[in-house]
Amino acid sequence: MYFDPNEYLLNPFISFLNWVVVVGALTFVVLFVSMLNLLTTKGMSGIGIFFDELGGMAADLFQLSPRRIWALTRLTYTEAIRRKALAVFVVFGLLFMFAGWFMGDSKEIKPDQVKVYISFVLTAISWLTLPVVLLLCCFGIPEDIRLRSIHTVVTKPARRVEIVLGRMIGIWLIGCLVLTVMAIVGHFWIVRQIPADSQPLLTCRVPVYGTEMEFLDREGNSARSGVNVGDIWIFRSYIEGATKARARWRFIKVDESVLDSDGNLNFENSFSAFRSYKGDMTRPLFYDIKLYNPEKNLAYTTDPQPVNEFRHKLDKIPRKVTVDDVQYDILKDFVTANKDLLIEVSCIDREQYIGMARSDLFIRMPDRPFWMGYWKAILGISLTLLLITMIGVSASTMVKGPIAAVLTFVIYFLSLKDNHQFMDQLVFGQVQGGGFLESVYRLVMHLGPSAELPANPAFAVIQFFDWLLNNFLWLCRHVIPYSQYFNMPEFVANGFDVPLDTSIIPSLLVTSAFIIPCVVMGYFALRIRELESK
Amino acid sequence: MSQSEAVIEIRNLSKVYRDFWGRPKVRALNALSLDIKKGEVFGLLGPNGSGKTTTLKLLLGLLFPTEGEIKILGKSAADVSKNERIGYLPEESYLYRFLNAYETLDFYGRLFNMSAAQRKERSEKLLDLVKLAPQSRRRQLKEYSKGMTRRIGVAQALINDPDLVMLDEPTSGLDPLGNRDMKDLILDLKAQGKTVLMCSHLLADVQDVCDRIAILYGGELKVMGRVDELLKAQDETQIRSSKLSEAAEKEIQDVLKRHGATNVKVDQPTASLEDLFLKTVQESRERPGHRNVTDHQSVS
Amino acid sequence: MTNMTSQQRKLVYLIGIVVLLIPIIWLSLPSDGKDAPGGVLSQLRSQYELGEADLGDVDASSAAMNFALLGMRGMAVNVLWKDLDQQKDTKRWAEMQATTESIVRLQPHFEKVWDFNGWNLAYNTSAEWDAVPDRYYWVKQGAKFLKRGVERNKRSTELYYRTGKVIQHKVGYADESADYRKFFVSDPDPVFKNGPDPVVNPEAKDNFLVGREWFEAACVRELARPQHILDRSLFRSTPARCLFDYAQALQKEGKFGEETRAAWDHARKDWTESYGRETFHALIGPEESDIMLEMTAEEIKQQAGTPDDELRVRKAVDAYQKMTNYRYWRTRALAEAEPEMSEAHRFVFDAKQAYKAQEFDNARTAAFKGMEGFDKILKRDEYSSLTDEDILCEECLLGWKIWDDIYQVSGDKIPEEFPLKWLLQMKSDNSQIMGNVNKQFKRLFLDNK
Repeated sequence: MYFDPNEYLLNPFISFLNWVVVVGALTFVVLFVSMLNLLTTKGMSGIGIFFDELGGMAADLFQLSPRRIWALTRLTYTEAIRRKALAVFVVFGLLFMFAGWFMGDSKEIKPDQVKVYISFVLTAISWLTLPVVLLLCCFGIPEDIRLRSIHTVVTKPARRVEIVLGRMIGIWLIGCLVLTVMAIVGHFWIVRQIPADSQPLLTCRVPVYGTEMEFLDREGNSARSGVNVGDIWIFRSYIEGATKARARWRFIKVDESVLDSDGNLNFENSFSAFRSYKGDMTRPLFYDIKLYNPEKNLAYTTDPQPVNEFRHKLDKIPRKVTVDDVQYDILKDFVTANKDLLIEVSCIDREQYIGMARSDLFIRMPDRPFWMGYWKAILGISLTLLLITMIGVSASTMVKGPIAAVLTFVIYFLSLKDNHQFMDQLVFGQVQGGGFLESVYRLVMHLGPSAELPANPAFAVIQFFDWLLNNFLWLCRHVIPYSQYFNMPEFVANGFDVPLDTSIIPSLLVTSAFIIPCVVMGYFALRIRELESK
Repeated sequence: MSQSEAVIEIRNLSKVYRDFWGRPKVRALNALSLDIKKGEVFGLLGPNGSGKTTTLKLLLGLLFPTEGEIKILGKSAADVSKNERIGYLPEESYLYRFLNAYETLDFYGRLFNMSAAQRKERSEKLLDLVKLAPQSRRRQLKEYSKGMTRRIGVAQALINDPDLVMLDEPTSGLDPLGNRDMKDLILDLKAQGKTVLMCSHLLADVQDVCDRIAILYGGELKVMGRVDELLKAQDETQIRSSKLSEAAEKEIQDVLKRHGATNVKVDQPTASLEDLFLKTVQESRERPGHRNVTDHQSVS
Repeated sequence: MTNMTSQQRKLVYLIGIVVLLIPIIWLSLPSDGKDAPGGVLSQLRSQYELGEADLGDVDASSAAMNFALLGMRGMAVNVLWKDLDQQKDTKRWAEMQATTESIVRLQPHFEKVWDFNGWNLAYNTSAEWDAVPDRYYWVKQGAKFLKRGVERNKRSTELYYRTGKVIQHKVGYADESADYRKFFVSDPDPVFKNGPDPVVNPEAKDNFLVGREWFEAACVRELARPQHILDRSLFRSTPARCLFDYAQALQKEGKFGEETRAAWDHARKDWTESYGRETFHALIGPEESDIMLEMTAEEIKQQAGTPDDELRVRKAVDAYQKMTNYRYWRTRALAEAEPEMSEAHRFVFDAKQAYKAQEFDNARTAAFKGMEGFDKILKRDEYSSLTDEDILCEECLLGWKIWDDIYQVSGDKIPEEFPLKWLLQMKSDNSQIMGNVNKQFKRLFLDNK
């Protein structure tokens, strides 16, 4: 496994607090922008209007009618279908007809190629549903206003918030319909593409990760990390063989539930091997796993096990183990009074290294079927669609369709993990070469990112503008969602079940955090707007 | 006509359209004040761009007034709940072109929170009322002719059995037959005690159905009063009857001449309101600011 | 414009479109055989052989993808390269291969792309894996990838060379080469049922001989399209050098019989009669002259004309021979064809085996015989130049090292005089050679353990 699920680990309380802060902040930003808008267009009377509208909005909220919302939902839905939104299936069909061209030969499939197949399907599905939803949500309301058909709606008792809600729900339903059909096709495609003997690779492993990991250095002292063997990627840390270097994990709340049906404790690892000299290349490096209980001064060590790099290696430890001719029960004798289980891994080979990260060793629970994780991933995509729908619809209440589409796409694009991280780095000044204008200058003048800039007033101006832009970015950064929590496809592609705590709940929270501000913004914009604009 | 409460009260209503930068561009309506009473058919007249549609949209809350006040059915124009009792037919029927007639009425019925049974019953009744051919009711509106669109537009305006009906150019695009149907419908609404506010530049329609009219020009109210009174002001008498034989016409002319009438002409009725209209427009051009309002109602 | 109706405007646009289309159509008229050469574009295309089909096998998917991206290919490729780099850093090999696949579909005729990615797979990715069969798998992926590059770019001299290089050098000279060479004819993947992977080695040949075929093909292409990897004289020596590699590899694996001697003989003939007789255009000083590496005095005279020129040509030939190590290999091949030489090799090989097996007496005897054999041959005048070459010297000195070590350990007195003493004295200051000898000796020792 080459991604770190712990990256997404959340503390429930802090995340709830964060959630409240984010919702509050977003709502505040929305209201603030609305008031500014009113102030600039209406002058000081804008403030009065603002509060009137706020009151009106509050009053409207008690008048919401599910039937009206449903009517508008159905309208949106029918519109999309009759305007041939489902033509996207043609593209989808073509893509899958010719997918073989891009995927290479499925006759010689290897374990990690399964990942490529699953990734392909899930990526294709999300990138195909995205434009459908984007176009529908960004052009729906502006088109309604342009054709003035919205006049016949707002002159009925329909509240404008109902229009916003109806649009959002309708488009999301369309998105979900398209998504479901594609997901079913994709599911069959994956199962059909993977040869019969590789089918067991399609599964959802359920890992229980250790909550803490620590290293011991070669003298046996506690250390924050192991040795860096010169990898650019600092994910794994290495322990040296035949020394006192160890990696230790603590598993908490260990009870009967972690054992498999035969009563074995299954440890799965994806350690990596590093040789300081090649030695006998035909012989793998070896490690062993020690279970120890400091309270009883008891330890059990497995036989040396070969490292199986870049693959999954499963070590079964039976429930009854024998140490010095005495039989012990793992759960009774090795799990501490706090229900903790302590594990220690060492490398056997002298002058060789074994690398590991916290998520590289876990207790593997009984697997769940592949479809379960797959559909959770689809759920993740549908949440993304919902997010885009909400942002797109509320954007389209303020600006014209194309602008709303670009805006929404940019927000979505920036919310992607890598882009969001880059934005974070920019905001915190961790990017070499300065801000926007400075880097443009460097590009034009062929200056490297570390070259010293001459100190003169022109650069002071450049840096001032960069500072301004950066502060603006700082604001944006807090409003743009972290779609890294919508990472269900990644779990499934890596052969894991989608966990509730690090993926499903955070993504639900992120989505729900956007519901209120987006609806408020869309509603407010529609309310203060004369629906007459050309 | 009984002296009843005003359904619409407009006080000093002005509307200024602004450009992108917020600079005033057009003054579409200037200090309009008028009341419309329950049960009357009121016509707003005026050439294109005189502010009729703007007035209607201000009343409906589609536009926000720059100045002035509106009370409609006792509520503010921005209050959505007033729409429960209002029916509105836009200038061109801005309906959803991908829906068919049934779906359209069903959709608007839902917006009034009507139950499925109510919607079904009401749809059938209205489609019969506006005489939309049964075979076209399942076709999408984009295939409709202008007249058919107008009919379904009227049907949607009446879906909630409104107390106040606002019609923007109700007869535009209708053939003479449709025109007749529309006028009958308006008179029928009046008979049911509903208030109708219509705007039009087709004077003949207004003349036939309206109790009172107001003529707008350049955003200003120029003439307002009862149609019969406004026309009475002219020094003429017109006799109308069903088509007579030539002999009968001759006889009537003789009778008139005997009573000292000069310039006797017996023919189809002329659009005499047209004369008034043209005169008003002409006068407004020559003497801006002049106003001929016969029944002043508490102009503030 | 403002006075026009919308219809008139559309008409103007239409006329504009047609007017602009005419030259485009005219420029890009397709040629229909020999009578009509087609438009300028198609003429240029055939002149420079840039048609998709001229370049190599046509790949419909790649063409379709490029077409579908319109002008966005550059951007798409940029994103993919970025992904590739990240996937490589985070060791996501399967994804990296998939990304590579997408890149070559977008840039099918960008030779450097094939070169870079093939190299990446064969050299970098393979080194990240621990198990030798895994490593071999990635070496093979690299070779296969380059082979596909060749199929898409049939006129590319360099891609032929790179493919050959992976098969000759990575398979033949990596630390794991002993295993790789075995795997090359008998793949560890059970799919191939102990046979070779038919994609890289359809005829189950030795890797050096397969490499030679690729180099030969590269040399054929080189006549039409120059390469920029090596000096031309070195580039064209690659097929012949593969034969030396092959013969040496046989020795390394302990084969000293007729087969090996024949390999040396074949290598020598190829070296002197084929490669040696190739014409190179040498630039010596301000003047140019056509030379061959194997030229008789008579030929030089003919080529030169004047005595001054004769000297110049002789110098040029000498310089080229030095650059390509020509004379060493000629002598070496000659020597290796001698039965005494192969005997000496075998004795050193036996000594190594015996030492590993801890049969020290046998090892000492064999090593001594090997030393005697090499001593005799290297002292012969015609072979004295062989001491200039490291690999052979290392082999000789490894024999001595084994012999010497057994004396040291057993505590016996080391004889004052012994064969190759002169060579040891000559090379004892050469840390490169002595280092390699010690390393090889240490490995014997470790393997022993």
